[in-house]
Amino acid sequence: MKNATTWLRAGLERIGIRARRPVPPEELFRRFRAVLESNNRALEIITDMGDTLGGDYLFDIQYVRRSYQELSAAFELSFTGFDALTEGKYRGLDAVYRSIDGSIRRAIDGATPAQSEPVVLLEDIGDNAAAAVGGKSKNLAELRNIVGMPVPDAFVITAQAGEAYIRHNHVRERSGLAGTSPASSVYQEVQELILHGEFPPELERAIDIGIKKLKKRFRGDCYLAVRSSAGEEDGDFSFAGQFETVLNVPADAAAVGKAYRKVLASLYAPGPVAYQRRLGYQAADMPMAVICMVMVDAAVSGVTYTRDPRGASNSIVINSAWGLGATVVEGAVEPDQFRVDRDDPRKGLEQRIGAKASLTVRMSGGGTAVLPSPMISRGRSSLSPEQAVEIAGLAMKIEKHFQRPQDIEWAIDNGGNVFILQSRALKPAEQHPVPNSAEEAGHVTGREPLVVKRGLQVYPGTAAGKVFILRNLSDLDRVPPGAILVARHDSSQLVRVMADVAAIITDTGALTSHMASLCREFHLPTAVNAGDATRSLDTGQQVTVRVDELGVDVYPGIVPELLGAAGSRQARMEELAEYRKKRYLLRYIAPLNLVDPLRDEFVPKACRTLHDILRFIHEKAVTQLIDQAEKGWRSHGAVRLDLPVPAGIVLVDIGDGVVHSSGKDHVTHDQVTSLPLRAVIKGMVLPGLWKSDAVPLRVQDFMTSMLRATDIVADSAPRSTASVAVVSREYMNMNLKLGYHFIILDCYCSDTVRNNHIYFRFAGGATDLTKRSRRLLFVESVLQERGFLVRLKGDMLIARLAGVSREEMESQLDVIGRLISYTRQLDAVLQDDDMAVRHAEHFLEGISGARPEQAAPSNR
Amino acid sequence: MAQSRIMVIDDEKIVGDMAKMSLEQEGYAVETFLSAEPALKRLDEDRFDVVVTDYKMKGIDGMEVLRTVRSRHPGTQVIMITAFANLDAAIEALRRDVHDFFPKPVKIKELKASIKRALEK
Repeated sequence: MKNATTWLRAGLERIGIRARRPVPPEELFRRFRAVLESNNRALEIITDMGDTLGGDYLFDIQYVRRSYQELSAAFELSFTGFDALTEGKYRGLDAVYRSIDGSIRRAIDGATPAQSEPVVLLEDIGDNAAAAVGGKSKNLAELRNIVGMPVPDAFVITAQAGEAYIRHNHVRERSGLAGTSPASSVYQEVQELILHGEFPPELERAIDIGIKKLKKRFRGDCYLAVRSSAGEEDGDFSFAGQFETVLNVPADAAAVGKAYRKVLASLYAPGPVAYQRRLGYQAADMPMAVICMVMVDAAVSGVTYTRDPRGASNSIVINSAWGLGATVVEGAVEPDQFRVDRDDPRKGLEQRIGAKASLTVRMSGGGTAVLPSPMISRGRSSLSPEQAVEIAGLAMKIEKHFQRPQDIEWAIDNGGNVFILQSRALKPAEQHPVPNSAEEAGHVTGREPLVVKRGLQVYPGTAAGKVFILRNLSDLDRVPPGAILVARHDSSQLVRVMADVAAIITDTGALTSHMASLCREFHLPTAVNAGDATRSLDTGQQVTVRVDELGVDVYPGIVPELLGAAGSRQARMEELAEYRKKRYLLRYIAPLNLVDPLRDEFVPKACRTLHDILRFIHEKAVTQLIDQAEKGWRSHGAVRLDLPVPAGIVLVDIGDGVVHSSGKDHVTHDQVTSLPLRAVIKGMVLPGLWKSDAVPLRVQDFMTSMLRATDIVADSAPRSTASVAVVSREYMNMNLKLGYHFIILDCYCSDTVRNNHIYFRFAGGATDLTKRSRRLLFVESVLQERGFLVRLKGDMLIARLAGVSREEMESQLDVIGRLISYTRQLDAVLQDDDMAVRHAEHFLEGISGARPEQAAPSNR
Repeated sequence: MAQSRIMVIDDEKIVGDMAKMSLEQEGYAVETFLSAEPALKRLDEDRFDVVVTDYKMKGIDGMEVLRTVRSRHPGTQVIMITAFANLDAAIEALRRDVHDFFPKPVKIKELKASIKRALEK
């Protein structure tokens, strides 16, 4: 019989069918450890790359290649181990990895992506398509396809299609566009050739199909907004208002073709050329895709900043006005402004009604017109408080998705439906002090200021130069370098001179306009809405300008006391095209989007970066271990560990780690014989570290704040579900999830000193980044004080200790046990960095004798 | 005091670009070259206080740059950077009186400090 079974198995194996045999826990755990080790290695390389490419190091492509080679190797290992561990359960992950890997390799080699379709629908745009569809379309596709935001239907004519159009019409050859800095007449010629060019037949067909699809979906005739979506647009640099936008275009091939030509040609207009040159593009050769989006019949439109662009308050800022959004984004009217609390949109809505003197409307048959607003609607708020709160809510979701502050354009139709039209990164002004107050400076210099505290600060700073009053945009070419540019209106056209002027002041304008975005990118001292600056100042006058949160002050002559060091602009690596290109690949590597397995969609296709894949692998590897433990390992000693604290740990005993009671599926901590686990438990269950009724409630003291924190965490955090410890008498590997924290503790604790080690990794956390950093600061202080080698990188801390005696190991593991319990509740109370240090001191005092609830630092 | 002049030679544009941006911020006048030939020509025309050069380059390499600078412009200090930590190259460079030797990636702060020390020599 035995022979027959062996024969049958051999036969099946020959034709590729293997009989499934249960994997013994030791083997499964070996695979699990292999996955963790390669994951850890990969994470360390990722953090190293993040550091090196962060602007503080000189690096070359060799470094990037070498690092990525190491990262790929770690990934391959992790994959192999993971596949073996989960027995091929997550095969889809490989395709996701290959796709991200392809994008990274293309970014490293500077290669263009494989030929894409010339026209793609917004919903068909997948990850890694940015190079083909441009930043704006990529952002909108993510919002629609991943976040589920209300984004109107659209198709995108890709950058490759744009290049095909230019080649088909021999634009470069005919205009002589080549070299590093072509003359402006060459650019004019390029624009002419594009505006009068012909479409390659396949592109014409593809656009036609795109239009038909949109019409079918719209169930009838619709109008389109035809807008640029250039390579780097809406990424680190906004290109705000730089390219042509053609609104209300009839959905027919001729009209769309004409609008497309206009948008494509605008890549070569003087403003965009200047901007591209500043960003390192020599011959305006940034790839340009164009998005054609169904027009929203907008009753109200506006712009939302998810953070106060001046960085002064914790508010979402919403600017809105009647009609289409053009009037708001170009700063042409004084809009209504709402300020909504970021943490609680329903709390404290602040509202200021703007004059909204004009509005942009759609014309029947196509095109738009600017009309004076009816008097009755000028004084009325364009948004109801409920609508403002709804917009704020959507905006916060968008920020959460992109993980950085956003500048969002939106519209509301006549039915009250909100649509998102664009979202890009917002760069709030950095908070740097501007030297001296105006009064002090006035006192020092004894000069009468020409302008005092007028307008709104777009970007702070001081500058000196000669005034140039810009009466007409056509005079932009005459603005001398180093001038203080003073203009009647705020306009994105001013980008042409932004790299050269020292400051900008405008009589009218808004904080949320395109020009304001650009000035922040250029770190250019700028104030808008300064009333009568064009009348108070004269061309040629030498002045010193100071912009701060109170507005702009202008003094006659040069005031050295005001200028100081803050007047000089900081060097910014992002302005180097080569640097951006290299750093760009981090986008595919470093950000973590999969944060919460209970809330986020934890499936392979949700992984957008390599970090996401590592997170996914880790989560699923732990789950696999626990599943196996719960299903099949009872006979191998998998049991629940009963502790007086709610840690929810499943134990897998691989050799003398636990004394089992027959017939029971749980053990108490007295039954644990694993040396390292015993030591950790001892620290974890120390009274006073977890919320318990025994803790006295004293107002304003440390433990009260801890209690409050516990309540907050307990209410909002998912229950501890995925915690597992694999133990033997001398070894322990614990994967612990408490609230949102993720802890890995791997240690060997024996009488052989050289074998002893502790690896402690601490990551995650659902609070905001500042508080997370403070928590890490706290953990770092404690572990460094205890003699660990600690590495703090972004959201993660790794601590190591090796080669110490068993007694020392046990004492250190006790401390780690206490840390685990303590930090679980720490997030919500760490109000400042000092407090993190005080908590660390207090914690260490607790270790040296006193119990934690005694000697508590105050929160005040 | 006259502005100190720094020359950066590296066959990768990104290295020169980043070095130039960060060193200009310190008030130095910086010129960058993608290969050694034009750089050495330029050195004959004008005085430079410090030359930062890559070790491995096509044509004339960093060691040759060091030799030339040592013999023709003894007042100019040389800082060498390499893609890999190459011990033999480091020893050879030190023997030829290189001011400093850095493996890439180079922490910009350290490069700045090294240049400052070189200027004080």
